Amino acid sequence: MTDVTLQNVRKEFDGVVAVKNIDLQIPDGAFVTVVGPSGCGKSTTLRLIAGLERATDGTIQMGNEDVTAVEPKDRDVAMVFQNYALYPHMTARRNITFGMKSAGDFSDEEIDRQVREATAVLDIDDLLDRKPGELSGGERQRVALGRALVRDPEVFLMDEPLSNLDAKLRIKMRAELAKLHSEFETTTIYVTHDQTEALTLGDRVVVMNDGRIQQVDSPQRLYDYPETRFVAEFIGDPAMNMLAVDISSDGTEYEAVGPTFRIPLPEGDGLETVAGGQALLGVRPESLSVADSADRSSFAAEVTVTEPLGDSLLLECRTGDQEFKLHAEPRTAVEPGDRVALTVETERLHLFDPQTGAAIYHAAAAQPPEETGPIDSTL
Amino acid sequence: MSTHEVFTDRLQAGVLLLPTMVVSLLFLYYPTVRAIGLSFYQASLARGDVFVGLENYRRLAGSTEYLRSVLLSVLFATCVVVGVMAVALCVSFLIHEIEVGKGLYLVAVIWPYALPPAVAGLVFLFIAHPNIGIFTSYIEALGIDVNWFSNGPQAFVVVLIAAVWKQIGYNVIFMTAALGNVPESLTETAELDGVSRTQRLLRVYVPIISPTLVFLVIMNTIYGFFGTFAMVDLMTKGGPAGATNILIYDLYRTAFQFYEFGFASAKSVVLFVAVGLLMYGQFRLSDRYAYYGG
Repeated sequence: MTDVTLQNVRKEFDGVVAVKNIDLQIPDGAFVTVVGPSGCGKSTTLRLIAGLERATDGTIQMGNEDVTAVEPKDRDVAMVFQNYALYPHMTARRNITFGMKSAGDFSDEEIDRQVREATAVLDIDDLLDRKPGELSGGERQRVALGRALVRDPEVFLMDEPLSNLDAKLRIKMRAELAKLHSEFETTTIYVTHDQTEALTLGDRVVVMNDGRIQQVDSPQRLYDYPETRFVAEFIGDPAMNMLAVDISSDGTEYEAVGPTFRIPLPEGDGLETVAGGQALLGVRPESLSVADSADRSSFAAEVTVTEPLGDSLLLECRTGDQEFKLHAEPRTAVEPGDRVALTVETERLHLFDPQTGAAIYHAAAAQPPEETGPIDSTL
Repeated sequence: MSTHEVFTDRLQAGVLLLPTMVVSLLFLYYPTVRAIGLSFYQASLARGDVFVGLENYRRLAGSTEYLRSVLLSVLFATCVVVGVMAVALCVSFLIHEIEVGKGLYLVAVIWPYALPPAVAGLVFLFIAHPNIGIFTSYIEALGIDVNWFSNGPQAFVVVLIAAVWKQIGYNVIFMTAALGNVPESLTETAELDGVSRTQRLLRVYVPIISPTLVFLVIMNTIYGFFGTFAMVDLMTKGGPAGATNILIYDLYRTAFQFYEFGFASAKSVVLFVAVGLLMYGQFRLSDRYAYYGG
C-alpha cells in the first residue's frame, strides 16, 4: 500500500493534449474512482500511473519515490483491464501465476499460497483448470482480479473492469469489489465512465473532462455541491436541468426570474455578486414536483413526454422555450400535452455562471460543510 | 451445415463457376491425372509410350541416387522451414516492437520476396560468387575458403541461405500482421508483470499466433520442396556432385534433359504423395498444438 501523487502531469500524443497539467493526491489505502466522458483523459491518467505511458511533463510519486521514469514492472502496480487481458492459451491458474513466475520474485510455495488465498476470496477455485474461452465474462473478470490480487501490489489500477459485463453481473461485481477493498485495503484507482460505479465505489471521486480535473470530492458532496456546470450535469441521471434566468433582488430577497416563472432563492453566499445579472439555474429532476395547488414558487409547464419508470414517472416538460425533466410521483395522472403546476424544492437549487460554467451559489450551502477531503486538486 | 443460396438459378451459378472450373480442369487436374497415368509407361518422344506397370516405381525404389535426393530434399526443406521461420520470427518481433520507422523496416525486409526466384538466384550468385562475389572477400577474410562451385556442403549452404533469404519477406508479412492482432492489453499486462521480452515472445505471442505459424510451416514446406527450383537451376544445377540435387530439380532433369517422361512422372507422383502426407501430418499436429481460440 502506498499513496500516489500526481504533480502538474501533462500528456501529449502527437500534439493532442490528453491530460492537461493535473494535480492529484491519492492517500494510502483509498478507493478513488475517476469518472468522465469518453476522451476526457481518465484512462490516460491511469496508464500514466501504471507507467504504460510516459508523462510529457510533471511528476508522479508513489510513496516517497519519484516513479515518473520508472518502468511499469518496477512500480509494483497491478492493472485490471476492461477486456480482462487474459492470455487465451493459458488456463486460469497459469494466467494467475504466469506473471509471478516470470518475474521470479516469488518462491513456488509462496505462489501456491497466494493463489489459494486469492481464488478462495474470489470463489474461482473450481475454474482454475479452464481456459478463458471456457469461462463466462464474470468468471474471466474474477480470474483477472485474481491475477492482480496474488501479486499483492502497492496499487491496484482498474480500467473500466466491469464495462463488458451485463447489468446484473456488474452490480454484483461492484459489491464484491467494494468488499475486496475493505478486506485488502490496497490503494485502488478505478476508472469508469459510469457515474453509478464511480459514486458507489469511490471514497473519493475524481471527475475529469477535456483533460482536466473538474472536481475531487466525496460522492455525496459531488452531487450536492458541484463546482462546475459540467459536474452538475454529468453526475445524476437524468442530468441536472439548466434554465437561463435573471437574478432579481430587492436588497434582502433574491429571485431567479425566467420568462414564465419566478423562483425565490434562499439566502446564501454568492447571491449578491450575481444580483441583477444572468445565471443558469440548476435544478435536479427530483427537486421538482407536480403541485396540487399553485403557490408563490410554483409555475406552469406543458408536459411533452411521459416515461413511467416504475418507481417514478419521468416527465419532460416545457415552459416558455426552456425544456427540462422531472421525477414525478408514479401513477400521476398526466398525459403529454397537459399543463401542470410545478413546485421547486428551493433548498436544492444551484446557480452557475453562463460563460465559465463555474458554480456561483448552492442553496444548500447554508448547511455545515462536510469535512475537507484528504484529496486536494487544483484546476 | 446451413446453406445460403446466393443464386436462385443454378444455371447462373454454374455459368459463373465455369471459367474457374475450365482453368482448373485443363491446367491442374488433367496434367495431374496424365502424370499419374504416364508414370506407368516408359514414355519418350521418339519411340512412343510403352506400358510398363510398376517398373518405374521399382526402379525408383532400387535407386540409391534417388534415395540420396529424397534425403537431401527432406534435409533441405527442413532447414528452409526452420531457418526461414526462426529468422522471420525474430525480424517480425523486432519490427513489431519498434515504434519509429516501422514501415521502412518492413519494406526493407519484404522486398526480396517481390523478386522472381530466378532474379533472386542471380542476385545471390553475384553476392556470393566464389571469384567475383561482393561478399566473398569479406567471408574469406574470416578464414573460410569460398569455393562452393566445387564444395558440395558449401553449395548446399549457399543455396539454403538464398532460399531462406528469399522467403523471409513472405513470412514477415504474415507474422507482423498476426503480431499486430495480439491485443495490446496482453502486452501491457506482461509488461506490468515484469515478463521479459523473450518470454513475452515465446510464451505469449507465439502461442497466440500459432495458427498463422502453422499456415506458414505448410507454405514454407511447399516452398522448400517446390519453390526453390529456380535457385538451384541458376546457382548450382544440382551440383557439385549432386550436393544440391533436390527432388524437384532431379525430376526436371529426368524429364527435360534425359527425356524419360514416364520415369519423371513416377518421381513427381512420389514427391506429390510425400509432400501431401507431410502436410496431412502437419495439419493433424496443428490441431493438437495450435491455439485457434474458443
